[in-house]
Amino acid sequence: MTHEKATIAAFVDGELDDLTARRIEREAATDAALADEIARHRALTDRLQRHYDPVADETIPDELLKLLARSEAESPAPAVDTSLAARREAKRARFAPMHWGAIAASLVLGLALGTQPWRTPADVVTEGGALVASGALAAALDTQLASNQAADAPVRIGLSFRDRAGRTCRSFEGAALAGIGCRGAEGWTLERTMRESRQGDYRQASSGELAAAAAAMMAGEPFDEAAERKARAEGWR
Amino acid sequence: MRFEEQLIEILPRLRRFARGLAGSAADADDLCQAAIERVLKSQGQWQQGTRLDSWMYRITRNLWIDERRASGRRGVHTPIDEAAIQIAGDDADSVEAGTLRGDIDGAMARLPDEQREVVMLVLVEGYAYREAAEILDVPIGTVTSRLARGRDTLMHLLGEAA
Repeated sequence: MTHEKATIAAFVDGELDDLTARRIEREAATDAALADEIARHRALTDRLQRHYDPVADETIPDELLKLLARSEAESPAPAVDTSLAARREAKRARFAPMHWGAIAASLVLGLALGTQPWRTPADVVTEGGALVASGALAAALDTQLASNQAADAPVRIGLSFRDRAGRTCRSFEGAALAGIGCRGAEGWTLERTMRESRQGDYRQASSGELAAAAAAMMAGEPFDEAAERKARAEGWR
Repeated sequence: MRFEEQLIEILPRLRRFARGLAGSAADADDLCQAAIERVLKSQGQWQQGTRLDSWMYRITRNLWIDERRASGRRGVHTPIDEAAIQIAGDDADSVEAGTLRGDIDGAMARLPDEQREVVMLVLVEGYAYREAAEILDVPIGTVTSRLARGRDTLMHLLGEAA
């Protein structure tokens, strides 16, 4: 074996130019010692990666996500974390448009959100930087009528209306997420999102805020039962 | 994409890097939390168009080194055992080869910090030598020599089956 260890390491690490790398590959075919050394280096790299890679697939702890979400709500500096300040902050930030982009990004990473505010089913994906409904949420927006929905439906549809751009929009409230989706060519773009928390007052407050946000977006009146059915028949165009 | 969203995309990798540096999951997440706070506070210094991940790694690594120095001064960090002190020098040979077969955490813990961080950046995180050198703010030659020593020690401790 004529190569220095550093060259072999550089070969395994992909640091050699193509020409040199190919030459080493050829030599390894006939030089057992060289081939062994390469295999030893590769084995170590593989082992380290197998050991550490699962960390990157773990769910990111809430504490870390909260830091980022809080920052996004009130950049640049994080809030002083007294309960009062936090509550006020949550209220103020709740309806910032696209405010939960960071959360959506985490959904794309496959993080499951659940019963806690930070955990929602993967009902939201990002497409070209926009939040788009998917899964059960998309299905509810597509098919469910406000006038005719089960009391225990996982997603409740609120108002349906046309916005000033002429799109059909619908407000919704799910277990973890509430907001307003507007129908475009790509599906339901979420124009407003907020955490949903099914805890008495909060639920009421969020419903009120949703309605207020819908009113601000609306052109004309919200759909009545007949208009909602008609819109569904026409694919919400 | 918003700054915070970009950070979130980097976070899974950064947690992996931190785990390698700190060893334990709890210490790693403390480190990540400190790094995020630092990054958010100094995001004005980050230049759009430069790589946010490298910057993030650098901040994390620097915080870890600071933490190690501080705890060293306080005498909080104690080596795992006497052997660790020796191996952390150039005495890896004095420990029987294959002693830590299978115990990657244990073997990594015995590397000096400056070798462990290079091993993580290049072998696990997949950075090029040049990129690792930029993150660590050292010459490329320093990266390759630390990497070679770290590799030797790991192969030695983990045994030929490494």
